[in-house]
Amino acid sequence: MTMSASTPQQAPAIRLSNVHKSYGDHPVLKNINASVARGEVVVICGPSGSGKSTLIRTINRLEEINSGSIVFDGQDIHATMPAKKLNLLRSSIGFVFQNFNLFPHLSVVENVSMSPIRVKGVAPDVAYDKALKLLDRVGLAEKANAYPGQLSGGQQQRVAIARALAMEPPVMLFDEPTSALDPEMVGEVLSVMKSLAAEGMTMLCVTHEMGFARDVADRIWFINAGEILETAPPEEFFKTPRHPRAQRFLADLRH
Amino acid sequence: MITDIITIIKDYWLLLLIGQYPNGPLGGLANTLILSALSIALAFPISILFALARLSKWRALRWPVTALVYITRGVPLLMLVLWSYFLVPLLTGADVPSFVTMLTTLVFYQGAFLSEVVRGGIVALGHGQMEAAKALGHSYLGAMRFIILPQALYNMIPSIISTFVSTIKDTTIGYVINVPDLTFAASQVNNQLLTQPFQVFLILAIVYYAICWSLTKVANAIEQRITRRRAGPSRTVVAPLAPSKILSEQP
Repeated sequence: MTMSASTPQQAPAIRLSNVHKSYGDHPVLKNINASVARGEVVVICGPSGSGKSTLIRTINRLEEINSGSIVFDGQDIHATMPAKKLNLLRSSIGFVFQNFNLFPHLSVVENVSMSPIRVKGVAPDVAYDKALKLLDRVGLAEKANAYPGQLSGGQQQRVAIARALAMEPPVMLFDEPTSALDPEMVGEVLSVMKSLAAEGMTMLCVTHEMGFARDVADRIWFINAGEILETAPPEEFFKTPRHPRAQRFLADLRH
Repeated sequence: MITDIITIIKDYWLLLLIGQYPNGPLGGLANTLILSALSIALAFPISILFALARLSKWRALRWPVTALVYITRGVPLLMLVLWSYFLVPLLTGADVPSFVTMLTTLVFYQGAFLSEVVRGGIVALGHGQMEAAKALGHSYLGAMRFIILPQALYNMIPSIISTFVSTIKDTTIGYVINVPDLTFAASQVNNQLLTQPFQVFLILAIVYYAICWSLTKVANAIEQRITRRRAGPSRTVVAPLAPSKILSEQP
């Protein structure tokens, strides 16, 4: 028996090392060191403007970083690489936006099937069948031929999740997926996310839904002013937060 | 007066329709339509290329095209036409037919205007659509082709149509470098009659109006077909149900 910490199976899905990012003189991410294990659900929380969204957007390189590395699937996402390779890497990281960003000129089923067809070269009828199955999974099979403008916010976000899943990504990133929703629609989106987590998807979510964090997360990252101040399992984080800033954050939430 | 007009049309319809053809070059309305159609058909793709170049991250692409667009837009078309008419033969020694000179100038001129319309349409979409496309693994050009341009061009149909219409109207400028178009034919007729300029140029105005009006009608029909197919245009992502119903003119 060896004491090796990282056999290929146990290598983290995502590892961030010494990540720095600043806009001019203003640092937004400071010395981020963290990793997400395969199958792990991590919830990133923290006050507004703390860099949560920026952090999650650096993971599929929608934001550039100034130094450090973000390794996914053995590849440094921020290394200099041909555009083709970056596109391929991005296609295997699902991303769900706060504002859904569905393609309004395409029907729901086209939204879900177009990227497998155009990016991966999947045959249209195969992609179409798969899209219908995914829509069924998020409870929207009957809306396949509707257009995004005809759907409610919650329905649009569920389509957006199906669209990301269509690329069969091993990792899903969620950037405040319920923040743009009316309160009564938050539940339907969270329950889709819960079922994903239950199926063993590796997930990284920025969210203000502390109930979801408590129930579903394996670990919480608490971030403030561009720094990860605390990482802990949810029960520990919510009951006995160690960092004073985290204590204050949780106290403010209770009010 | 109406009898005068009818008489003029009776006497000169062939000249107005095809110019001196087959004894001379093709002219009249036929040539105006060919010149307009070619200008639009070439200016449209060029405007998309110009717009993409102006949005490019590469300076080598962005700067020259930006300069070209600014200069072209800042100078009267007539002046550009005269420049190409007198300078191109001088510089190249080639004998360029006036039709080609007019076509090329018009394509660049209207391409420059149209590129600003296209660029505006792309910029107005915001970052969200391109980010979503990138996150799904689309290449920049793939995202442009399948996601950004279909929306940007659709949203810009009214402005694109007015540029097309002004392209048709601008073909009349070809008159000054002897492009044998409808205006040229009408002025030949006027020179022969001498006493009826109002009648002759009224015919000219009516014909141009008819062409531009039909183009607008065709474009509106296309726009409505797309709108119906999309069953409810929604530029904002969180489009509420009610407004999209109103916009789509659906029963």
